[in-house]
Amino acid sequence: MFDRRLLKNFDYVLLIITLALCFYGLVVLSSATQGLSSSDPLLYVRKQATWIGVGLAVILLVISVDYINIYRWSWYFYVLKLISLGLVLFFGRDTGGASRWIDLKIFDFQPSELAKLIVIITLARLLVDCEERRERFFSTWPFFLLLLPPTLLIFMQPDLGTALVFLVIFFGMLYMAGVPVRYMAVYTTAGLAAFPLLWSQLIHYQKMRLLVFLNPEVDPLGYGYQLMQSMIAIGSGGIRGKGLYAGTQARLQFLPEQHTDFIFSVLGEELGLLGGALLLVLYFCLIYRILKIGSYSKDSFGALICTGVATMITFQVLVNVGMTISVMPVTGLPLPFMSYGGSSMLVNMLSIGVVLNVGMRRHKIQF
Amino acid sequence: MDKKMLKRTRFFVSLIMLIFFFLCARLAYLQVIQYETYWSRAEKNRLRILPITAPRGEIFDRNNRQIVTNRPGFTVSLVDLGDGYSDETIASLAVLLEMEVGEIRHKIRSQYYRRWLPIRLKTDVPMQAVAEISERRMELPGVLIEVQPIRNYVYGNFAAHILGYLSEGTVAAWVEEYWQQQNYRHHIGELVGQAGLELAWEPMLRGIDGGIQVEVNSTGQAIAEFERVEPQPGHDIYLTIDIPLQLAVERALQESVERLREEGNRYAGEAAAVVLDPQSGRILAMASIPSYDPNTFHRDFPELREDRRRPLVNKAIEEHYPVGSTFKMVTALAALEEGVIGRNERVFCAGTVTRYGATKSCFRETAHGALNIVEAITKSCNIFFYEMGLRVGMDNLAHYSREFGFGSRVGLRDIFGEKKGIVASKEYKRDLYNEPWYPAETMDAAIGQSFQSFTPLQMANYVSMIANKGIHYRPYLVEKVVDSTGEVVMLAEPEILYHLEAQQSTWETIQLGMVRATLPGGTASRLAVLPVSVAGKTGTAQAAGRDSSIPSHSLFVAYAPVENAEIALSVFVKHGGTGGTTAVTVALQILEQYFQIGLNKEEADS
Repeated sequence: MFDRRLLKNFDYVLLIITLALCFYGLVVLSSATQGLSSSDPLLYVRKQATWIGVGLAVILLVISVDYINIYRWSWYFYVLKLISLGLVLFFGRDTGGASRWIDLKIFDFQPSELAKLIVIITLARLLVDCEERRERFFSTWPFFLLLLPPTLLIFMQPDLGTALVFLVIFFGMLYMAGVPVRYMAVYTTAGLAAFPLLWSQLIHYQKMRLLVFLNPEVDPLGYGYQLMQSMIAIGSGGIRGKGLYAGTQARLQFLPEQHTDFIFSVLGEELGLLGGALLLVLYFCLIYRILKIGSYSKDSFGALICTGVATMITFQVLVNVGMTISVMPVTGLPLPFMSYGGSSMLVNMLSIGVVLNVGMRRHKIQF
Repeated sequence: MDKKMLKRTRFFVSLIMLIFFFLCARLAYLQVIQYETYWSRAEKNRLRILPITAPRGEIFDRNNRQIVTNRPGFTVSLVDLGDGYSDETIASLAVLLEMEVGEIRHKIRSQYYRRWLPIRLKTDVPMQAVAEISERRMELPGVLIEVQPIRNYVYGNFAAHILGYLSEGTVAAWVEEYWQQQNYRHHIGELVGQAGLELAWEPMLRGIDGGIQVEVNSTGQAIAEFERVEPQPGHDIYLTIDIPLQLAVERALQESVERLREEGNRYAGEAAAVVLDPQSGRILAMASIPSYDPNTFHRDFPELREDRRRPLVNKAIEEHYPVGSTFKMVTALAALEEGVIGRNERVFCAGTVTRYGATKSCFRETAHGALNIVEAITKSCNIFFYEMGLRVGMDNLAHYSREFGFGSRVGLRDIFGEKKGIVASKEYKRDLYNEPWYPAETMDAAIGQSFQSFTPLQMANYVSMIANKGIHYRPYLVEKVVDSTGEVVMLAEPEILYHLEAQQSTWETIQLGMVRATLPGGTASRLAVLPVSVAGKTGTAQAAGRDSSIPSHSLFVAYAPVENAEIALSVFVKHGGTGGTTAVTVALQILEQYFQIGLNKEEADS
């Protein structure tokens, strides 16, 4: 086992918030999956609980190794990530128009989830290694070069949501690393200028989702219908909600994918504004805690990792919750710790593990 | 941490706070200010999607005659009104629709994940039941009556094996995969093609379903329509089939089978025939007896399944049979090409011959005397071809059989299920029994016995290759595919798969033997009455086993007119007796129909 003195710096609050979110997720999941499986009503809850358990083991594993090793191994991770994303393109299981999963027999692994964390780690290392490059506009190109291959591979799946997560993480970390804001304004402008090119590369269903977001009437029988049902569910929840297991919309299974992408709709309907706000407060505390650990960390590598994880979680919450209340397009990004799914749960736990690790080793140990 | 980073962290936290504040504000707006609106909408959340089934593409024959169409029919569905389905509703529906309660419950369960869609209980409900349901609408909340297209096979059980049928079942995994390559996906519970063209051309035939977003009232009636997406009809398919000819072929086969049974032949009952255009590979007719009616397939299924004659199997492509003397042109070609017989060289037939310890005889032990190769084909002399088989040897014989496409699929892709057949060869016997080959078996193989076994389609392709001197066209059924706007999506073109090259004189010699076979003195002399010249060859194949009381299979292959062949045909009548009688009679009727012979006479008679 690891040094007892490390426990002194262990951030229990972060772990407790994480567990609270997981538990909250299980409760909502048990309502959202009622009747999905006739033989075992708790099938999904049990599976999800198993992933939480495995996730805790992963946290334990990650914090027992000094994160300086993560720094050392980061290029191996990077290569591994590119290989696994490449594999998806060739051997991926095709679901709903996109191949995002690799069948690992036990469960379908989604390499794009893990790729998010690896982007954070490798970008943190590159920013640390090339500190002098942050200051001059034309020397920032290696950062873009790092981001390009995984983003392209994700884009080819096609998984627009995850590609966007990469971009947001990228900007968040660049900002925190001290790249001048005006540079990033230029990058963004250039990116927007390239949007027509991007648009022509989008698959029909992705264009459709963006268009439906702008105008739900475009597709009244498909995504527009999903959005409308989600809004009705949440809006009808009111302040206190209809009560757990009592949501009429959820009961009738009118909500599409209500245990994965649309789990927040079930929460909003059954637990109301209070339940929704509680969840958002929990998320905010979690993110605040992560950034706080970052600000105490002994080196900028640790700080940047914390920034990346915080950005990732913030963005996913914004997009997922925003989607259910029609302020964001339907992208298929899961709600961290809440949505049903093994890959997402494991990677989120892993990220928390890395952050805890940074927090534990914030001071040099005195012998 | 340096100061700059700390500053940036603070800004970061403020930004995140702003985002969460924004989400909370939006949530509050929906759940507090808009609460009343959404609450009432949820309370009567009766927004439903009623799918409109796209009309399936129609199927036409080569002269644009409709073969498969759609007609309107009533579909009874159940709409979820929010509180499940009462037992009384289900019980009354079960009576009205003549269904089992369990069956209805099963359908409800199987659509658990798509509960905003109506559950289709029964299609093509009779008018009387529909009227009764409409009358009792108030007692039957959630019951919906829709008009949906029903598949209509205009000619009933004619051409059923080509067309196939629809059913809600699943399809084979490899078909699913094949469709996926074409970006086509089919949903469980939807009607899907299950055989023939309906299966193979499913992605083209099915259109894209539309739908209406409606609000339903407490009894399930649509009271407001919000959005409507029109369905896109499937593509129409035009076939190479000539429907009058197809009908004539099936009738001729059916009549011959019935005649045999009247004569007391209790083994008869199955038959098949294929008519090809030897200049392109177009299939003009393809029939398999007994058949089934795709319109009433589901009602008839228990009976069809029990039928020992297996009506669901397309015997023209999915089964192979011994072909007897119709094979002799292969042996003749091998002998001429290998130079083991001269065109005018004679072999003496004494009715029987004993070689390698086996005594073999000509049909009914007729002694033909000395004949050349043309006469041997004309009279179908076994003794002559035993000799030829021994002279060319088994390996050469197997080689030339394969040259004609035997032992591999002839290439029909428009419907699935074509079989390869079996070419007799030393290797085949060794693999099967691990026994050596005996020369006496070569003699059998040379007259189409032994292991030789081919599909009626292979036989038609074989005689077509003789007619056009060695060109193997890919046989095809679909001439063109046209979308609902009239645009041609696919146009078939004849495709040459192989060219069997032989000397001009070889082809002419074989053709001459076949022409003489249909003249007085030949084995198919019944065809001599026709005003067109026909080249043909009969076959009488021993049925499996040595039990001589079981009638032989009756076969005939032919092409006409001899000068410039327009059609090539093969007829197979299982346990139909001698080829010269049963199969030739069927061929006579086919040729009469194709060349419009005797029709005027009939008109004059009436």
